[in-house]
Amino acid sequence: MRIILIGGGEVGYALARALAPNHDLHVIDHNPAVADRFHPLDVSFVLGSGTSAEVLGLGDIESSDLVIACTGLDEVNIIACALAKKLGAAKTVCFVSGDDFLESVSGGYSLREHFGVDQTIWPEAQLADAIQRIIAAPGAIDAESFAGGQVRLLEYRLESGSPLTVAPIASLQLPRGAVVVAAKRGDTITIPHGGTHLKPGDKVIVMGRGDAMSTMEARVAPDGRNLRDARRVTIIGGGDVGFRLAQLLDSLDDVSVRMIERDQARGEMLAATLTNALILSGDGTDLELLEMEEIGRSDVLVSVIDNDERNLLASLLGRQLGVTKIITRVSKIANLRLFERVGIDVALSAKGAAVESIVREVEGGKAKVLAVLEEGEAKIFELVVPDDYPATALRDLATPPESIVGTILRHGDAIVPHGNDRIEPGDRLLVFCTDASADLMRTFFTSS
Amino acid sequence: MRLAIVFHLTGTILRFLGAAFVAPLLIALYSKESADAITFLATGVAAVVLGEVMRRQIRHREWTLKRVEALAVVVVTYLLVAMIGAVPYTMNGMTAADAMFESMSGITATGATTLTDFDSFGRGLMFWRSMSQWLGGLGIITLFIAVLPRLAIGGRQLFFTETTTTPGSGGLKPHVRETAAMLWRLYVGLTLAEFVALMLAGLSAYDAICHAMTTISAGGFSPNPESIMGYNSAAVEWIICGFMFLAGTNFVLQYQALLRGQLKASIADDEFRVYTGIVAIATIALTVFLLQTDMATAAAVRSGLFQSLSILTTTGYASSDFSLWTEQSRMVLLVLMFIGGCAGSAAGGPKIWRQILIARYTLLELKRTLHPRALLPVKLGGKVVPEDVMRAVLVFFLFYLLLFAVCVGVVVALGADILTGVTATTGTLGNIGPGFSQVGPMTNYAGLHTVSKVVLTAAMLVGRLEVLTVLALLRPEAWRSLTLRGD
Repeated sequence: MRIILIGGGEVGYALARALAPNHDLHVIDHNPAVADRFHPLDVSFVLGSGTSAEVLGLGDIESSDLVIACTGLDEVNIIACALAKKLGAAKTVCFVSGDDFLESVSGGYSLREHFGVDQTIWPEAQLADAIQRIIAAPGAIDAESFAGGQVRLLEYRLESGSPLTVAPIASLQLPRGAVVVAAKRGDTITIPHGGTHLKPGDKVIVMGRGDAMSTMEARVAPDGRNLRDARRVTIIGGGDVGFRLAQLLDSLDDVSVRMIERDQARGEMLAATLTNALILSGDGTDLELLEMEEIGRSDVLVSVIDNDERNLLASLLGRQLGVTKIITRVSKIANLRLFERVGIDVALSAKGAAVESIVREVEGGKAKVLAVLEEGEAKIFELVVPDDYPATALRDLATPPESIVGTILRHGDAIVPHGNDRIEPGDRLLVFCTDASADLMRTFFTSS
Repeated sequence: MRLAIVFHLTGTILRFLGAAFVAPLLIALYSKESADAITFLATGVAAVVLGEVMRRQIRHREWTLKRVEALAVVVVTYLLVAMIGAVPYTMNGMTAADAMFESMSGITATGATTLTDFDSFGRGLMFWRSMSQWLGGLGIITLFIAVLPRLAIGGRQLFFTETTTTPGSGGLKPHVRETAAMLWRLYVGLTLAEFVALMLAGLSAYDAICHAMTTISAGGFSPNPESIMGYNSAAVEWIICGFMFLAGTNFVLQYQALLRGQLKASIADDEFRVYTGIVAIATIALTVFLLQTDMATAAAVRSGLFQSLSILTTTGYASSDFSLWTEQSRMVLLVLMFIGGCAGSAAGGPKIWRQILIARYTLLELKRTLHPRALLPVKLGGKVVPEDVMRAVLVFFLFYLLLFAVCVGVVVALGADILTGVTATTGTLGNIGPGFSQVGPMTNYAGLHTVSKVVLTAAMLVGRLEVLTVLALLRPEAWRSLTLRGD
């Protein structure tokens, strides 16, 4: 694919690194200093502005398949996309950092129609949505939903005493309609079989139909204790992500939100805009403030400051005060693993997720990647069974090792299959597999 | 302060006030009240001449209006209009203090009266009494901004000096003249609607127009000595209830609901919801208390609603002699006297949006004691109320209480009982009209000491202009650089 990247910042660099090996890449940036960074990568660097037709021409815009505008300025991104589209780009992707330019409420204006933007990516909003999903799933440290919400995926860290740890999976009598698709112990991720015996401290990924997942949720916590819905949420940092998340939670009646923001003016803006959230002016790493406001009694603590060190500190303080579920934002992708190692259950990166979503779309081909889990170590694919493929029982399907068909979507129904179930032409399969088997899985139906 | 400019603007307004005397003049001629007709003609001409002389103090247009001058124009206009309006009353035998009281009560749409013998007033004079409330109901300056192109300079400042809008309120036009015209169109429309409705309910054309003018202005003067009770008609009471409710509602909201179809947004308005809530609660409370007396259910509901609206919107009509009601019922009315109507309405009093802000401010202070680091802005309609507006509201209430205490003190010291003192003060400072005891709906203010009447006359003006406008003029620096020159 011929791809033009406009903007060589953090996002641009991460995209270039991921896409350069398999695609023709032109990177456009007006800053000569940026060029050096891209030097080791096998890409062509064009010095100049993405809003200039001449510069875009140097990147062979007419024959490009994809233009991604990811400078730090929304206006520049939009103009670059509009220009690229006019000059013949097949598809444009535009990064934005706010809702100022998104579709108007009345529908009289849209970025697609008036500026030729085919896809808008707002990383901070995506991160806020992801955090909200995880908050909404009690006890879970990751949460995704597929097929319009029919199928859910949840990740848990098992505590000692959890009913899932008492026997091998086969004898657990898990609800029909839900399946344990992965277990992670230490840094190794495996696809469990009936004989696998889960242990406290393991992370498990469970996938299934909505109703079965509700039953499943009750089987995770120790001693049959119910997992509590999050009622008290503390958000540290009122930046783009924190603000967006607070807006999402603000409308829920049964959730009370406290938000700690250091900047007085920003705090006043937040207090003016949010209706129910309590905005506290202060530092999220100020232990005295955290104790005074009884942050330890929160069900969830979300730390989304723009600074990794302070995020980590705030999260660890929260843990110390007794918060059980902590969600932390990581800006530097390299820090993700470090955060998990010191006991932060959920560490998420806004830009990382955005880059991932683009990469999986570009690389996916016919097999759509629905989700990337565990920092890329596992993926969920959606595969379509070709029309000429004979109906086969699942147990006879020679799928690659370290993969499992989690759900069959057939005529709008979600079926969580057993070995005897058959796949039929036209079925859509939600397949979970580890990174090692990803390439095999992706081409499974096309090559066989 | 440059007096020439104050005179110029006031004069411009007075000149047109003179023209307004044509209406009572025609009624007087039609009713063959020749003495009154001559008075109206003379007063009208005098107003035009005085206005023209004042207006000529400056001729060039190279000036801008300072804040203090805007305040002065508004206050001086009300004073002069009240004085000119009092002339026909004095010619009919009223004392100067009584006439000034009556005229101020008219122009501020208060409805407190010193008139004892209603038969002594001819139809023309009674019409003028009602009409003065109608002219003042929406604000006399607003009226003239709407009709006078010449008030273009400084008109904006004058408008916002006379009319207090809630912070962040929408619906205003970019040109203040269009805003004023829009308000007046609605005002005239409502008046005509009520006039027709009252005619259909069986009132004579004369009674219908007089009451339409004093309902929509939330004034409360009635040519009938027994107010609305004198007509003994349920239909009339229901009609007036409806229009009193509208008179106490923000006119900008009504404009949006009626002419732009934004009914939902108008109903969702913070202040409007509290307003309707107060009306509902007061009506229920009054109905319950009235049912404990011998009143029939239908009459109790109707009287409860009528009197709640009449007091809350600061109209001051009486559909029965409420000063004879039980202590509980009168207590409800007494509480209502301290509330007032909506911003941007014809109603007076401290106004509901201020009450909302005070309530929210207090509750947030309590929350702040628990969360000392919390940022807790006061909001109205989802928008943050700026610090300076909040401060002005607090100061308004402090002054309101202070003036209240002073007025009660004066009235009681000069021989009235305490209930009279308290309700006469709320009745005038809140632009309501009647109170209890000596100043009840079927009695009047004539029996008070002359000094009391003068003080209460001032209270009506101060209350109408929402306190701070008038009090700011009492600061010495407002007068320090006084000049006659206008450049």
